[in-house]
Amino acid sequence: MIDAYFIHLLILIGIYLILGISLQLSLGYGGLLNLGHIAFFGIGAYAFALLSLHGFPFALSILVASIISGLFGWLLSVPTKKLKGDYLALVTLGFSFVVYAVLLNWTSITGGAFGLANIPRPSFLSDNFLFLLFVYAIAVISYLFISRICGTRFGKLIEAIRDDELAAKSLGKNTLKIKSWGLVISAFFAGLAGSLFASYITFIDPSSFTLTTLIPILLIVIIGGLTSLPGTVLATIVVVLIPEPLRFLGFSSSVIGPLQQILYALLLVVIIYYKPRGFYGKIDLE
Amino acid sequence: MTSIFLQLLVNGLVAGSIYALVAAGFSLIYSTNKFVHFAHGGVIVLSSYFLYWISTTLGLDFYISSFLTILFATFLGYSLNKVLYQKFRAKKASNSVLLVASVAILILLQSLSLLIFGADVKTIALPLSNHSMNIGGVFVTPVQVIIVIISLFLFFSLRLLMQKTKIGKAMRAVADNNEVAEILGISSERVYSTSFAIGSAIVGVAAILVSLEQNITPLMGTSLIIKGFTGSVIGGIGSVTGAIVGSLFLGLAENFGTWFVSAGFKDAIAFILLFIFLLIKPQGLFGNKNNQK
Repeated sequence: MIDAYFIHLLILIGIYLILGISLQLSLGYGGLLNLGHIAFFGIGAYAFALLSLHGFPFALSILVASIISGLFGWLLSVPTKKLKGDYLALVTLGFSFVVYAVLLNWTSITGGAFGLANIPRPSFLSDNFLFLLFVYAIAVISYLFISRICGTRFGKLIEAIRDDELAAKSLGKNTLKIKSWGLVISAFFAGLAGSLFASYITFIDPSSFTLTTLIPILLIVIIGGLTSLPGTVLATIVVVLIPEPLRFLGFSSSVIGPLQQILYALLLVVIIYYKPRGFYGKIDLE
Repeated sequence: MTSIFLQLLVNGLVAGSIYALVAAGFSLIYSTNKFVHFAHGGVIVLSSYFLYWISTTLGLDFYISSFLTILFATFLGYSLNKVLYQKFRAKKASNSVLLVASVAILILLQSLSLLIFGADVKTIALPLSNHSMNIGGVFVTPVQVIIVIISLFLFFSLRLLMQKTKIGKAMRAVADNNEVAEILGISSERVYSTSFAIGSAIVGVAAILVSLEQNITPLMGTSLIIKGFTGSVIGGIGSVTGAIVGSLFLGLAENFGTWFVSAGFKDAIAFILLFIFLLIKPQGLFGNKNNQK
């Protein structure tokens, strides 16, 4: 029993880790206050669910779902290229509301408020422990990939643009293209996390992809510290585990949900006030 | 055909008036404080539940309850500014930080309502009969008439307040340039507090009317603040007049949109409008270009 619960937590940590490091790329490295990240998570989850419900093989569904999510990242980057700070935050937030409204209302495809159930999981991953290993393999690959590209020329450029876009532009860099790629890659990995989430839970509905779910992900990135990937790993573990003791205090599940949200929201406010750079952050949220 | 048109017109005006009440307060706060106070939606939710609690659970007279609800909303908004935003401002936090904080507070207040009152919808017993009346083929309820009248009334009183009174002028001065206003002896912190108090009082009125027109649910805060926010963006964020006009436009667009797509897509229509305005005309219909970055 404890074992199953422990594995469940570890899988959640793995999925949130991918979400956290992918947001780190756009929010930390790119300095883009992207509040639409949860929408990419949702797009990935729904795309994966629909593909695998229509009989596509598992690996292909994951890949295509992540690419679709990346494409939406590109789609969002086109009109928002020149926006910054709170205006960008609002457009990306608006984007996540559009996605939510479509998921909720396009009943014939998405199942509306009832969501999509019985999402298949391949037989070789039917055991949760094996699924755990699979999630961690993907998480490690994602981590290495993102930390690698952040160390390359691309990473230096996107940070340069964050710090001084005009200077980067005057050096002849195509800043819009680089920012756009940052968002695409970030969305791709969020979609990947969404696919894993859908195949793990085997049931998704629009309520998993709202503003409420955005708070813990933002919290992970901010507690970890902007542009710190090791910090993000630590923060993911902390953020996923923090509300868990609530379960052992004998609260009913209808109380745990809101309590968990309150805890996350309070923590977010406290952190950005007292320790805005989190564990290992090097820059401030602008 | 004409009766459908008129019905959609009326529905649009009623919806727009509710959005306008949310947007007016929100926009007033934005105009002086220059950051997006999303937690405004949380103030609506908590105030609506407060009204439910004192009028239905405690059985207080509806009109007294309404008055207390407006006081409650005013106090809540005022304290959010004092306890939270003022501290952040003192640390020279960026607008993005304030935005993230206010989104967190919105979720906090909604979850708090969910925790205290549960997920089931609550309704408030009406003090007056609310049978819909048939006026020339168009159905209207008395509450809907009251909603439209109150928003019109608030619209004109706000304009008067902003244009004629000393505090209104101080608010406009701070909105325009808070440093110059400070030099001229206007305390911007005091103006911030005042706009939070007035903006939240207006949203207290909105909370009462929404509670009468719809059911009360914990999640209505997010949806109302998005609508109010969309209305203010359409009208020009930071312009109170614009916020009200923009909200009416939004209400009408949503309802006439149902002529073409199913009613479930109302929200999508609103968000797409928001999207279009943020991208193509971020200064809105009445906004000041200088307010933009």
